[in-house]
Amino acid sequence: MNIQEFLTIFISAVFVYNVILSRFLGLCSFIAISKETKPALAMSSAVMFVIVMSSMITWFVYRFLLLPFNLGYLRTISFILVIATFVQLVEMIIRKLSPQLYRTFGIYLPLITVNCAVLGVAVLNIDMFFINGKAVAGSFYYSVFQGLCVGLGYTLAMLLMSGIRERLELCNVPQVFKDFPLAFVIASILGLSFMGFSGFKF
Amino acid sequence: MKDLIKEFAKGIIKENPTFVLALGLCPTLAVSVSVANAMGMGIAATFVLLGSSLIISLIRDFIPDKIRIPCYIVIIATFVTITELCMKAYSPALDRSLGIYVPLIVVNCIVLGRAEAFACKNNLARSFFDGLGMGLGFTLALILISAIREFLGSGQILGHTLVKGFEPVFVFGMPSGALLVIGLLLGLFNLLKDKRV
Amino acid sequence: MINNLTVSDSPHIHKQASISRIMWTVVISLIPAGIAGVIIFGWDALWVTLTTVVAAVLTELILGIWTKKKITILDGSAVITGILLAFNLPSGVPLWLPMVGAVFSIAIGKQVFGGLGQNIFNPALVGRVFLMASWPKYMTTFTQPFSYDAITSATPLAMLKAGKIMEHISYLDLFLGKHAGCIGEVCILALLIGAALLLIKGYISWHIPATYIFTTAVCTYIFGAAQLFRGDWLFHILSGGLILGAFFMATDYVATPLTAKGQLIFGMGCGLLTAVIRIWGGYPEGVAYAILMMNGATPFIDRYTKCRIYGSR
Repeated sequence: MNIQEFLTIFISAVFVYNVILSRFLGLCSFIAISKETKPALAMSSAVMFVIVMSSMITWFVYRFLLLPFNLGYLRTISFILVIATFVQLVEMIIRKLSPQLYRTFGIYLPLITVNCAVLGVAVLNIDMFFINGKAVAGSFYYSVFQGLCVGLGYTLAMLLMSGIRERLELCNVPQVFKDFPLAFVIASILGLSFMGFSGFKF
Repeated sequence: MKDLIKEFAKGIIKENPTFVLALGLCPTLAVSVSVANAMGMGIAATFVLLGSSLIISLIRDFIPDKIRIPCYIVIIATFVTITELCMKAYSPALDRSLGIYVPLIVVNCIVLGRAEAFACKNNLARSFFDGLGMGLGFTLALILISAIREFLGSGQILGHTLVKGFEPVFVFGMPSGALLVIGLLLGLFNLLKDKRV
Repeated sequence: MINNLTVSDSPHIHKQASISRIMWTVVISLIPAGIAGVIIFGWDALWVTLTTVVAAVLTELILGIWTKKKITILDGSAVITGILLAFNLPSGVPLWLPMVGAVFSIAIGKQVFGGLGQNIFNPALVGRVFLMASWPKYMTTFTQPFSYDAITSATPLAMLKAGKIMEHISYLDLFLGKHAGCIGEVCILALLIGAALLLIKGYISWHIPATYIFTTAVCTYIFGAAQLFRGDWLFHILSGGLILGAFFMATDYVATPLTAKGQLIFGMGCGLLTAVIRIWGGYPEGVAYAILMMNGATPFIDRYTKCRIYGSR
């Protein structure tokens, strides 16, 4: 477990292989919600929280439940059940603790269950940090850190996008490109600029 | 019968899941690097869509409303696992190139969306044709995007060089190129829609 | 009594600066660098530049006619985009490459957003990164200066990235542009002459270039070598597209922050990103990517550095 690995994970998860701009996970919510900054920020923080927690839980489930009993092929089902349950739990807790926060999140919270990013990162962690059915040294910390960085990358892309789209609201965009098409073009250019970090080596 | 044909046809153009409903974009952009991948993903997704639509439509009266989403997810996940295992067994090369996007069919908005919007409210026959139409529409959209990307990005389609001396435009094989292609295609479809009106 | 009082609407003091005037002045300020490019790299440089400019202007013209909007090619902005894009290319590129790049810059980098004043990103840089991602081979093949036989050579930054120490290149060589590189980026002297014109006329302010160059220098000084505080910051400032970028592309009116505070942040961000990519990234040069990333962040910077409106808290 060395610091270089952490730095590499950070740069690749946030910039080079940005979860939205490069891996396309969470694209649906990205295009739909990045129109304004407030909802974008709310969604990003919720997603980041769920990703980090589910990275932890799914790691444990895989390591101590699926692997020992040779049930690796049940990965998909168990992970999505874990995520769905967890999101449901979070929803119930937030509703009890802070009805105002619950109202702010509105529909975004249940939508996180089907956010490709959450399940995607869980599966990615397994693919990257388990080799031949055995956990790599420090695998748990790498997985959780990767979850955190993916959340940060998601937030970064969302914030940049919402700032840009809010500004474009005041402009005279050609009718055929209004909303979705232009959003994709902007994402494309942002992705191109993030590519500047490729080949990163510490 | 005409009714059923209508359900089937709407998934291809009028309510095309990719270009009109803007669903399931995550895997669309990711696997559209080559036409071979696109067809593989399209078939896999259609199988899951068909299977889950059928089962959900069959047991729609027995699922309690409060837990319907988790139930749908379990059903869909089962079909995805079947697909995953079959793919790993019969075409490991395809499984490797599609990577994490195969298990991600579980959260593909198209599958869950059709379950929630259609299969739980309609009978077996209509759900079957709806699933078939949507799956086909998705596959066709995938093939269109990947044909453009594969041709521009590597000068080939399905591994065959079409134009000699063509300098491939590498960016189209990259994620940014995918976003660009879909942005421009959506703009183009908007233009065609406006012209028709 | 003759009435010497004229009553009219504001503005009452008029500086004669309009968009066209500013744009064409920028074009003039880029001419010294263009001439230097031709002297150093030969007539190829001229053909590339002309092709890019013509393609850019034609694209804007055709798109304007097709969409039945105002014809804006006379305001000079398409010409500037063409020149800046050309200055970011090696002189040996096949002529179809700058043509495609120019079309992309104008169509995607500018018109899709709604034209001048609405583009979020600097159009020339959008074209450059598109070309870089699409045809990396052509975009990284540089010819030796003063060799009209097209002998290829590596740029100073590329050699630095590969770990080869430049022994036979002096700071004066870097300053005058006697090394391989893109058409408009090598001759620092010519670029500074042009930049001086723009600064004197007040068309660009010192904030962004100064902070950009200063931040890059500081970062490369501290981290640029194997040991801390041993970096060759002068080498870094004089190499690559930093001077071209800092004075002519990072100062784009539309794609950069409005307030002085915002501009300082913008400059620092560009400097930091450029240094990071140069030192640890895979590419030898990071100016284009750094500026584009900061362009993306500009709406945000603007939001949080807004001037306090008179009378509000």
